[in-house]
Amino acid sequence: MTKGKGSLWAKRSVALLAIGSLVSMFGVVSNADASSGKKVTITFWTSYSTSETPTLEQTLIPAFEKANPNITVKHVVFSHDDLYQKLLTSAMTNTLPDVVRSDLPWVPTFAQGKVFAQLDGKMAGFDKLAKTVYPGTLSTNYYGGHYYGLPLDTNTRVMFANMDAFAKAGITTVPKTFADMLADAPLLKAQGIYLYGDGGTGGWNVLPWIWSAGGAITNSTNTTAKGYINGAKTVSAIQFLADLYKAGAIPDSMLGASGGMSTYDGVAKGNYAMTLDGPWMNPIWGGGYPNFHPVEALVPAGAGGSSSVVGGEDINITAQSKNKPAAMAFVRFMLSKSAQVAMTKAGQLSVLSALSKQVTAIHPYYATFLKQLGTAKARTPVPNYSKIDSIIGTEVAAAMSGKVTAQAAMDEAAAQIEPLLK
Amino acid sequence: MASTSVLANVPHGPSKSSKAGFVPYIFLAPGFLLFLLTIIYPIFRALQISFYNWGVFPGSPSTFVGLHQYVREMHDPVFWRALENAAVYMVFTVPLQIIFGLAVAMLLVRKIPGRGLFRALFYIPVVTSWVVVSLLFKFLFSTDAGFVNWVLHSFLHLSSHNIGWLDTRWPSMITIGILGVWKGVGWSMLIFLAALMGVPDSLTEAAAIDGAGPWRSFFSVTLPSIRLTLSFVTIMLVIGSLNVFTSAFIMTGGGPQQQTEVVLSYMYHQAFQFLDFGYGSALAFTLAIIVFGISFVQMRLFRGGVTRVVR
Repeated sequence: MTKGKGSLWAKRSVALLAIGSLVSMFGVVSNADASSGKKVTITFWTSYSTSETPTLEQTLIPAFEKANPNITVKHVVFSHDDLYQKLLTSAMTNTLPDVVRSDLPWVPTFAQGKVFAQLDGKMAGFDKLAKTVYPGTLSTNYYGGHYYGLPLDTNTRVMFANMDAFAKAGITTVPKTFADMLADAPLLKAQGIYLYGDGGTGGWNVLPWIWSAGGAITNSTNTTAKGYINGAKTVSAIQFLADLYKAGAIPDSMLGASGGMSTYDGVAKGNYAMTLDGPWMNPIWGGGYPNFHPVEALVPAGAGGSSSVVGGEDINITAQSKNKPAAMAFVRFMLSKSAQVAMTKAGQLSVLSALSKQVTAIHPYYATFLKQLGTAKARTPVPNYSKIDSIIGTEVAAAMSGKVTAQAAMDEAAAQIEPLLK
Repeated sequence: MASTSVLANVPHGPSKSSKAGFVPYIFLAPGFLLFLLTIIYPIFRALQISFYNWGVFPGSPSTFVGLHQYVREMHDPVFWRALENAAVYMVFTVPLQIIFGLAVAMLLVRKIPGRGLFRALFYIPVVTSWVVVSLLFKFLFSTDAGFVNWVLHSFLHLSSHNIGWLDTRWPSMITIGILGVWKGVGWSMLIFLAALMGVPDSLTEAAAIDGAGPWRSFFSVTLPSIRLTLSFVTIMLVIGSLNVFTSAFIMTGGGPQQQTEVVLSYMYHQAFQFLDFGYGSALAFTLAIIVFGISFVQMRLFRGGVTRVVR
């Protein structure tokens, strides 16, 4: 009896050891922390919308936790602006989460402040992942010779047109060039329709026009703005916008007037014939204006071709994280094909170039965005970008309103931006 | 006359507080510590930060720059514009809140039907959220879809076009001011109401017997009787108006082109958007000094006035 019991116990022990070894081996593959058997919880802060959060919380996180039983992911969602403020205050008080989904302009600021951890040379599989994403999206994580994150989702601004508005003016095609826009403007104005609506004059708004005109904000190494933001090509882009505004083709709301009609309402109702915006607008218009069917087109080409601005979010690991191996495992998972496809279905365009065909099959309207991404550029990746953005916004608005010439406004912008690049 | 009679009733000899020993201080200590921790310490910390190019993140270097941030302010046109906007807001809202608040209080101090209901109705804007009413006013004064323009342009035909209330500097400041007055009248009313209830009926009755009409009675009896309250309301409203933030921040965000920045919205943008905490702290400290200075002058002026009245 005793012998029998002992034999049974020995068999059970061997079996447990065998199972334990298998689990341990699986754990080594899926998660570095599991080898120690230590359960960890990582916190993930995002600003996902209500339509995207269910996919993350009900599909992706459970799948990750199933593959990595020793890791629990705690997702905390904020509004976009709240997330930035929360990150700031948490960085100051050492209460940051492990993983953050960051807006692109934040990354250089937090990289400079050593808030985000360097990933190249530190994270297993980084080089392989870096090769699978669109190069333009990867560059948004680059600061001071290193990468402080990976792109998580991407987007860009393309032209959304209300063809009914164009039809009222006898126009049948979306303008393809700056010259087309100048030609269409008076025809639409005669019908009481603005050619182009936008919500501001910051970088996100005007960079597509500057780059499409062949202009630039800084040199390629982001060390000087003089001769670039006030160069002839950039000035011509601002003059183009000023001419359109003067001709009554752009409403006051672009210059920061907060009482005007939003582009969301304006384009859908036909008050504005077109606007530049991102892929999230399709489902938003689908919900608010089901009878409005926008037509997507590339940014009208200027002397520099058709270019737009890279948007989207990056995924970063904080320097304060005490669970970096688990956080890295989660980052790798979020950049896996299955996770990227799931988020694309939820409305977030994948950063994996290999998924381009699959992405357009999910939502055909993504095709225009993917084509525009081919020539899209990232905003200047410097820690002072928010200040630079504010200067661009103020000076472009001053030029458009006619208070100063486009050249004088851009000269002033160059003078103000120059010390911010040092 | 009044001061003498009041002082006559004050007991003399060893005060009760001197007999109480340390007991009052023990009771005061928690609140005082909280005051030190949450008010005094941040004030001195902000003063310190204003002398630096402050590195926000732990480990980031902070460079001592002396008075550079304050010199920078003096040469910053947006700061002066923000200060001017705050001053215009003060000039617009403070007199109107006092006049309307006093007028409503004069009406509601009388025993009229529904007095309690009207008092509550006038006070409701005071307890509503600044964020909510600012958003509400933003929609009301929207250029193309706002209720105000619908009334003025489409319904009453008083305007040939939709007015861009929030499109340019001065209309925006007026709109923000209208919100400030609407939200603040209830508070002034409540304070004045309390003061008016303390004015003895015998004074107004005596004035009436002496032949004073309602206006004469108001200016010669009621107003001098609530003079201290008037000074309190004025000082508090001036402080509050110079510190205007939420309404301006939500309704215009300081735009267009930083034309409607007030000092606190500009401070917020510098500190929390651009992470320039050194300059943001200097802006906040400058505003605090200005508010303190104006309040000090007001108190001296009102105290002088009270002394003359008592004599």
